[in-house]
Amino acid sequence: MQQVGLLVGKDLRIEARSRQTIGLVVVLGVLIVVVLGLGLGTQQGGGVAATAVLWTAYLFSGVLCFEKTMGVERADAALAGLMMAPVDRSVIFVAKLVSNLALMALVSTVVTAAGVLFFSFDLSAAPGQFIGIMSLGLVGFAAIGTLFSAVVSSTRLQGGLLALTVFPLSLPLVISSTQLLLRIFRDGESAGGQALAVIIAFDVIFLVASWVLFEWVLEP
Amino acid sequence: MRNSHKSRIFTYWLLTALAFAAGGAMVAFYAPTESTMGNIQKIFYLHLPSAINTFVSFLIVFVASIGYLIGRKAWWDDLAAAAAKVGVLLCSVVLLTGTTWAKGAWGTWWTWSPRLTFSLLLWLLYVVYLLTRSSVDSRQRKAMISAVYGIVAFLDVPLVYLSARLLPDLHPASIALAPEMKVTLAVCFIPLTLLNVGLIIAGYARAGRAREQQRTEGDHAPRPMNLHRLGGAA
Repeated sequence: MQQVGLLVGKDLRIEARSRQTIGLVVVLGVLIVVVLGLGLGTQQGGGVAATAVLWTAYLFSGVLCFEKTMGVERADAALAGLMMAPVDRSVIFVAKLVSNLALMALVSTVVTAAGVLFFSFDLSAAPGQFIGIMSLGLVGFAAIGTLFSAVVSSTRLQGGLLALTVFPLSLPLVISSTQLLLRIFRDGESAGGQALAVIIAFDVIFLVASWVLFEWVLEP
Repeated sequence: MRNSHKSRIFTYWLLTALAFAAGGAMVAFYAPTESTMGNIQKIFYLHLPSAINTFVSFLIVFVASIGYLIGRKAWWDDLAAAAAKVGVLLCSVVLLTGTTWAKGAWGTWWTWSPRLTFSLLLWLLYVVYLLTRSSVDSRQRKAMISAVYGIVAFLDVPLVYLSARLLPDLHPASIALAPEMKVTLAVCFIPLTLLNVGLIIAGYARAGRAREQQRTEGDHAPRPMNLHRLGGAA
């Protein structure tokens, strides 16, 4: 835990000093919400469109976030140094995952506020359930993103390939959480059932799978 | 020896072609026409065997990917790649027959019904697998990355299926099959399975030959000039 804390602290200190990733990712997320808001115009349908728009913004911002956090390690062969340190590779995975989640939490807060504002999405009916469902979704998304950012960072295509690999793998999360949020905010039903089970299963399966597979893919 | 190998391959593909002809004849002349959907329902005899064989191919990708991670033998990677290509091909058939069936039955080429959506997502997952392979230069790195993706993608399949089932469904829960329909369906599984197995073996053998050829060319390639022995200043 101490090693994870040290590595997360290092990542967040680098980000706090440079502010390269967070500024870029937040602005991209808000831009996506604005562009989709303008494109959908008056056909937004309130909360119906907002959940899908928010996920679109989370996905694109998230991919950029994962790419940048792993890119920091690639610059000046920092990853090679990290791999030579007496630290288990699973510790590196957990630290990268926590760093990505911290950045994604910040991004999603700003993007959600923009979505609520531009789409008149009324969260007051179940704010706790919204935060819980989206948080569960982001954990699974970050697990997949962290694994594949390590995979893709050593290939030619990099950013394009990361989006290409992470988006289709994350679609069960998108479908389940949007269907669940529609049930809560449009139909007035409570959370639970198969959709929530899929999200939790996704988190468990891909946290474990990414943790196990991370050491195979990490290469300086 | 080589001629006998060629004749075995020829016999295999001839049998496959005959099985296709037999299946097609049974669909056209033996299987009854479904009362509600009419003739368009006959696409089912191609659709379902292709779907089942798609899963078989992707299961082979999963098993071969695990095999590669454990054994680090290149032939596991060749097998996974061959199975993924055939799986994507068969999944394309499933998508095409699915959309054609949707047009005939519901009057629209596409609807976000769970099964069509699931086929599309499955196709996307494995097209990305093939794209990922083509973007990595180093053979060992390519095999490693593909193996990891092959495992993760297969773990994702049941989740994609369960999440797609949350969408509203137009499909009938089940189609009541007459005995003649069941026999025809069973016969139609034979050519599709033969095609699946044959294409995977052919792709696997081709990859093995290419690897062998690369190794042979590497052995006979001119060695770099030793400038020290020539008195150069390398």
